[in-house]
Amino acid sequence: MSELRDRLDAALAMARRDFLIFTSYRFRLVTMTMGSLFTLTLFHFLSRLVRAPGLESSGRYFAFVVVGLVIVEVLTSTMALPPVSLRQELVAGTFERLLVSPFGAVGGMAATLLFPFCLAAFAGVTTVILSTAIFGLSLDGGSAFLAIPYALLGALAFAPFGLVLLAMGLLVKQTVMGASFIVSGISLVAGIYFPISILPGWLRWASDVQPFTPATDLLRHALTGTALLHPAWLEMLKLVGFAAVGLPVALMAVRASVRRGRRSATILEF
Amino acid sequence: MSATTVTIPGVPEGGLELQGIVKRWRGAPRPVLDGVDLRIEAGTLVRIDGANGAGKTTLLRIAAAIITPEAGTVRLAGIDPERDRRAFHRRLAFLAAGNTGLYARLKVRQQLEWWARMCFLPRGEREARIDAAIAEWGIEEFAGRRLDRLSMGQRQRVRLAMTFLPDPELVLLDEPRTSLDEEGIDAVIGALHGVTERGGAGVWCAPAGEPAAIDFDAHWLLSAGVLAPAAQAALR
Repeated sequence: MSELRDRLDAALAMARRDFLIFTSYRFRLVTMTMGSLFTLTLFHFLSRLVRAPGLESSGRYFAFVVVGLVIVEVLTSTMALPPVSLRQELVAGTFERLLVSPFGAVGGMAATLLFPFCLAAFAGVTTVILSTAIFGLSLDGGSAFLAIPYALLGALAFAPFGLVLLAMGLLVKQTVMGASFIVSGISLVAGIYFPISILPGWLRWASDVQPFTPATDLLRHALTGTALLHPAWLEMLKLVGFAAVGLPVALMAVRASVRRGRRSATILEF
Repeated sequence: MSATTVTIPGVPEGGLELQGIVKRWRGAPRPVLDGVDLRIEAGTLVRIDGANGAGKTTLLRIAAAIITPEAGTVRLAGIDPERDRRAFHRRLAFLAAGNTGLYARLKVRQQLEWWARMCFLPRGEREARIDAAIAEWGIEEFAGRRLDRLSMGQRQRVRLAMTFLPDPELVLLDEPRTSLDEEGIDAVIGALHGVTERGGAGVWCAPAGEPAAIDFDAHWLLSAGVLAPAAQAALR
């Protein structure tokens, strides 16, 4: 029990470290928020051009895409940021310190995802607030609160992807481009910018074999009241399944990459 | 393959034990470590010298279970790091050569707080231990300053303060003199004596020819992959 408490405390210390480093750059939060604002403005105007079945009015497409943008924030934070952080750790030699700590490299790498998740949650909430306050997005007051548990469940289901990218980063040292490639691919098939119903049949399967489609669907339903592709319980079950299977497998991948890096003595290379 | 057994007689069992360590780099004509045996008993201080590229850092990294050897075993107080890594690293501290291993954007105290939690120091003891480390290493004046605003010597003191913070049983120091002034070196000596007084042990790796700052219980030279006693004259 004490061991578990120590590990949780160390994981929180990692998140605090990342928070302190993030906030040590004074304008980072401002530029991040401004970035969200510009993206929303862009989609606000783009939404006037969109006329698709089910999204006949510009307001409906804007509501649709805002939730997609929140998911993109999560994707970017959990897939693109951690490999960059890992590389910085390798270059700065701080990863070596993690390796000789009781918390260890595996725990350290897993905990690297905590702050990006929190940051993504903050960015998501900011995006929704800006959309509501400036662009007139109307939230579904009855179910908006469900976005929190859905987002947490989604985060657990997304974490394995972030962990696998970290494991690969330790082995091949450079996964930033790979992460961007995956984020783009997921954006294409997860119903982030457009409904998956307009995807060609041969590509539709890709929407069903990852957790991003059900997470987007649930979040969109909770925030804007759109109809679900599948019953909520089934979408949630998919997320639980991805987390339950994916997390242990991804942790095994991280352990294996650490073991291999130690054996080949390339673990500290960058 | 040659093997050199290095044992300090007359001291109790325990400490660090490396047996038959072999490590080779891909494409290299011969192993960088070729069957190295090293036993460091509790309560002793050992110095290991070697030319640049002799394999000192590799040896320390294997001893710290950062990398694994192709052959051979590592034990600390009988603990195999491959079986119980956490217990192994609770007892060991490692200072890497150079001035790496710090978060440039964190303040000194934040860095120590982070490390205390990575080392699983009990919550109730952390603040007192950090305060003591700050005093011991003479870093009070810049404890609230960011790491990237410190001189190299000040950074080295912070690195050393982190290394000794968890009161380790075994301390592996890779070129600890880097950028340190006399006062800083005295602090290292004091900290090492503190470790041995508690029944722990210390290893000081240095480039061949660096003057010894402290009396060691043993002095070894790593050359051509083999660890051998250094000349008696170089001991002090």
